[in-house]
Amino acid sequence: MSRIVLRDLTKSFGDLAVVDPISLEIEAGSFVSMIGPSGCGKTTLVRVIAGLERASGGEVLVDGAAPVDARAHKRVAMVPQQPGLLPWRTVKANSRLLLDVNRKANPPDAADPLALLHEVGLGEFLDAYPHELSGGMQQRVALVRALALHAPLLVMDEPFAALDEITRSEMRAILNRLVEGRGVTVLFVTHSIAEAVALSDRVLVSSPRPSNVVADIEIDLPRPRSADVEDEPRYVELCAQVRHALHGSMRR
Amino acid sequence: MTKRILAPIVGIVVFLAAWEGLVRAFKVRRYILRAPSSAVRYLWRFRSDFLDAAGTTAQHAAIGLLISLAVALLVGAVLASNRFLEMATQPVLVLVQVVPWIAYVASVVVWLGAGNGPVLFMVALVCLPAFVFATVDGMRSVEPASLELLASVDAGRWETLRRLRLPAAAPTLFTAARFNIGLALATTYYVEGSNADNQGLGYIGIRAASSSTGADRLWATVFAMAMLGVIALAVLSWAQRTLLHWHAAQRSQPH
Ligand SMILES: Nc1ncnc2c1ncn2[C@@H]1O[C@H](COP(=O)(O)OP(=O)(O)OP(=O)(O)O)[C@@H](O)[C@H]1O
Ligand SMILES: [Mg+2]
Repeated sequence: MSRIVLRDLTKSFGDLAVVDPISLEIEAGSFVSMIGPSGCGKTTLVRVIAGLERASGGEVLVDGAAPVDARAHKRVAMVPQQPGLLPWRTVKANSRLLLDVNRKANPPDAADPLALLHEVGLGEFLDAYPHELSGGMQQRVALVRALALHAPLLVMDEPFAALDEITRSEMRAILNRLVEGRGVTVLFVTHSIAEAVALSDRVLVSSPRPSNVVADIEIDLPRPRSADVEDEPRYVELCAQVRHALHGSMRR
Repeated sequence: MTKRILAPIVGIVVFLAAWEGLVRAFKVRRYILRAPSSAVRYLWRFRSDFLDAAGTTAQHAAIGLLISLAVALLVGAVLASNRFLEMATQPVLVLVQVVPWIAYVASVVVWLGAGNGPVLFMVALVCLPAFVFATVDGMRSVEPASLELLASVDAGRWETLRRLRLPAAAPTLFTAARFNIGLALATTYYVEGSNADNQGLGYIGIRAASSSTGADRLWATVFAMAMLGVIALAVLSWAQRTLLHWHAAQRSQPH
């Protein structure tokens, strides 16, 4: 079954066409990255899928329903580019934020944020405030906050963009560990080829604005993946393939 | 920590000592300015009367402030979500600030009758603009990313207000409160004096001011008011440190 279906989706702001007619299906349980030049409309597409922005034309289905319905039923969990933690909430309370609002839509099997916090190595910081955390730790809280919703779809918009390279590779390992075997579908927007290949089952390469998918590359690296996957020849090969597609799209 | 308590005490002691010293050194005439020591002596002599009156005044100011804050939160929450209403209301609030309320306080007393009514009404009114501006600015200071995050799970208006906008407004509200405490005490004092209720430091003070033998009593109330102000600010600082420990302004700054 497909978790996300786009049929001839378009989006424009006034005269500015941001998303060209785009048709796409994303399998339930798969990890799909979208990579493309800055300003091509990735965030816009993600916001349409999350039900935060209306499509201008075409159809979007999330689990067979309109995005606004999916949103109302908390079936989409977002991890934004900035962690967006509330400074007056502790780590523990921040990780519960999305469960604390619109409670009637909470799934009965919502994951325990405490267990997740321990899992991502924040067990000793449950009562710390955001200003006492490093950037990577803050982003881990944001990740737990989204996963705790137990939503079938996880949407991440360049979540690691603000982090340094060492922390990013650490976050890749944590993310792989968290989503593998949970059955959650992930739509992951990134500028990093290495990140897209290391994490995904599929990489969508997007053209400059108005954006469209110009390459759809299957990543056949075995799972579960550890950080060592980045040493494998196949990984290097796939990275090259994505890079060529990306450069091809920019020349278009 | 000790610095936090010690510093203001040092400030007050130095100020009082200078006042006392100047009055003595220049032999300032008694009806122009009293030395603090004489005010303290007078306060001590009639301590039970003054304690009673100070309690009433403190209560008036505190309740007036709380009413003002409650109304401001209500009004501010509405204005923060509607630019047009905000722009329409702004001149009215500025009007409240600039029109000297001494001009119409007598009408308010006639309108509401003697008693707590006019005092609480006036305190709530004069403190309202600063509280409303602080609420609106604070609620608007919320990060768009946080709003979007709550929108992504379809959080309701009230939930967004309570979980996001209200805590975000706390820092500006404390700043407004610091300013309003002085305003509230001064207003309480004056309206108590214009009231026929015979209560509070203001009643004692304003009557003493119009009596030829009242200077001691007048200065004693002034001194008592100053002490109320110091205590109120200390309580506010404590609350601010406790509630806003997460806010950058509350953390010690690097030198
Ligand atoms: N609310 C809006 N109103 C008008 N134009 C918008 C709006 N949101 C986005 N745009 C425009 O849409 C285009 C795509 O923006 P978007 O943020 O989706 O790009 P992006 O691919 O996420 O870029 P980046 O990789 O830099 O994050 C930009 O040209 C932007 O100016
Ligand atoms: Mg973007």
